[in-house]
Amino acid sequence: MNCALGDELRAAWSARSLVWVLTRREVAARHAGTAAGIVWPYLQPLLMVAAYYLVFDVVFGMRLGEQAPTRAVGAFLIVGALPWMAFCDAVQRGMTSLIDAGGLLHKNPLPPVLFTTRAVLASALIYGPLLLLVALAYMPAHGLRPALLALVPLLGLQLLLCLVLAYVLAILAAALRDVVQLVGFLLSVGIYLSPILFPLSLFPENWRWVLWLNPMTGLVQGYQQVLLQGAWPPLSVWGVSIAWIAGLALALNILVARSRDQLVDWL
Amino acid sequence: MTKADPDLVLSVRGVGKEYKLYSSPRARLKALLTGRATYRSHWALRDVSFELQRGECIGVIGDNGAGKSSLLKLLAGTLHPSKGSIERVGRVTAILELGAGFHPDFSGRDNLYFGGSLIGIGHDEMARLEPEIIAFCELGEALDRPVKTYSSGMAVRLAFALVTAVQPDVLIIDEALAVGDQNFQKKCVERITAFRNNGCTILFCSHSPYHIRHLCDRALWLKGGRMEQFGETEGVLAAYDVHTREREAAAQASFHADTPASTGGKSAAVQEPVAGERLPAPAAQSRKADTQGAGACILSVDVADLAEPQGGQPPLLQGQDLVVTITVRGRGSERPHIGFMIEQSKGVGITSLATHEDGAAPVQLDDGTWRSVLRFPDLPLHSGDYVISAFLFDETGLAVYDEWFQFLHFRFIFPKPLPGLVRLPHHWS
Repeated sequence: MNCALGDELRAAWSARSLVWVLTRREVAARHAGTAAGIVWPYLQPLLMVAAYYLVFDVVFGMRLGEQAPTRAVGAFLIVGALPWMAFCDAVQRGMTSLIDAGGLLHKNPLPPVLFTTRAVLASALIYGPLLLLVALAYMPAHGLRPALLALVPLLGLQLLLCLVLAYVLAILAAALRDVVQLVGFLLSVGIYLSPILFPLSLFPENWRWVLWLNPMTGLVQGYQQVLLQGAWPPLSVWGVSIAWIAGLALALNILVARSRDQLVDWL
Repeated sequence: MTKADPDLVLSVRGVGKEYKLYSSPRARLKALLTGRATYRSHWALRDVSFELQRGECIGVIGDNGAGKSSLLKLLAGTLHPSKGSIERVGRVTAILELGAGFHPDFSGRDNLYFGGSLIGIGHDEMARLEPEIIAFCELGEALDRPVKTYSSGMAVRLAFALVTAVQPDVLIIDEALAVGDQNFQKKCVERITAFRNNGCTILFCSHSPYHIRHLCDRALWLKGGRMEQFGETEGVLAAYDVHTREREAAAQASFHADTPASTGGKSAAVQEPVAGERLPAPAAQSRKADTQGAGACILSVDVADLAEPQGGQPPLLQGQDLVVTITVRGRGSERPHIGFMIEQSKGVGITSLATHEDGAAPVQLDDGTWRSVLRFPDLPLHSGDYVISAFLFDETGLAVYDEWFQFLHFRFIFPKPLPGLVRLPHHWS
């Protein structure tokens, strides 16, 4: 029981070169047949970021209240929304990764975990550079502070969170396809259950706990601290995120052990 | 694997495969979340054990649902056994379903490299193998076009060339020989035979007893997920043949029990409507249409001295000799081989013959077609209804180009009123 997750990790690690091939191909498949090619996967989130900036900061010049981490609404939105988009993309693609790879898994003796990993990694390859780009754009505001280093563990934790959550959901979706629809809905309302559109301080005190039901709340706050205030994220950010990952990993361990010998039959 | 036997490449010990059948996907999710089992279990395989040595060729036969595919998938590693263990040595290649996993938007070459990485052929090795693969699949320029523009035959050719690019230690084939056109089928058979000659162990699953008989040293008969027999090909195939005929007879009996007509005249109701008419099997017809006359096919099969059929009865053979003239078109200049089989109309097979087995060969006619005349002097059968089939093989006798299966029924009257089926060579003293 204990080693179910360990087996999966070992399988993924020993096939790492294949995972890399799969990942590159997944990225390529997202723009296969288009003229602009590799630009498209990046362009979509970039255009959204540009729209936020133009609409809220340039055209309307909206400002947030005193307690907010920053005054500019556009900057606030971008720093929260981009990691959230990365999270949604990774979870959604990871969740359907096993169902999509059903044909391959039936015909090739490959561990299923490779396909969830590749979906999440492909997502990371697209959003990771964009997040770094945003970090670069906001760096002049605070100068080169040591707090920027916190981005590395933040991005790492987000990747880990996406991997674990996506694999949990992928197994559940393999068992019951309704999971895909349900999670799609949750992801679309999830942005309101997070401090992305409004700073945490604007939420009623009694209801703030609801936000922590969103696994991204901690990380979004972390990004906001680092990029908007140039400060090292507080302990709660790390604690909550690590707790989420640990909890999901435990659940994943159980799910993997229960589904291992029949997972491929469900696809 | 023990060091004592270095030639052991595959060892299957007490393998069982259980499918958990849930009443609905909801029950599946519930079982996943609560860990409480609420399934019916179906054992597709139970207690299967055997060992394969290097260079052996094993045929797997069995009815539909006997567990053949499950066994092959277990050996290929796409499924995991619920019980027992499977030990494999070296490279195992499975030809389960060709072309699965190709991405339609990518070029053939791109899919080739990707498919290679899935079966453990790295980029550098693939670069080395590429020319040979391209030569084998004969795709040429098309290799740089997206796979979605390929015909199904092209995709299958590419897939076969890819999976067989590297000689495996164990090759698992699931009914895959019936792919592509005649020319490619022949190349497939040649490649598999070459593997076998080089010491590759082959596990071959087919409904065609003919292929199993010619390719395999031993046969494994699966029945209801268990090993019914495992041993010399001929013995196992004979036992399986008895089983299938019994099963067909049982199915027919229950069919006729359901139709009210069977209460009346017995043999007339049993007679199939096509009996006595010269109709190639539908499969043979479509196969010929595929090749559009360019490929090898059976052109005609004539039985001498056959009376006109009367009133739904099969035609009567007049005279005591059975003379069958089979005319075929070969492929190119290759000398084909011709096979013949005679069975009871409702009952058992009697004999099958082939030119390559008898050391004979068809004669080429002036127009390039080939002809064999098969003569049974004083046909040693008792009175009854019989059915004949004709087959066309390539020059090795491995690839079946065409078949007219059970296409002609006839009636034979043995003048002496003795019961029986065949008259054996004998002497009284």
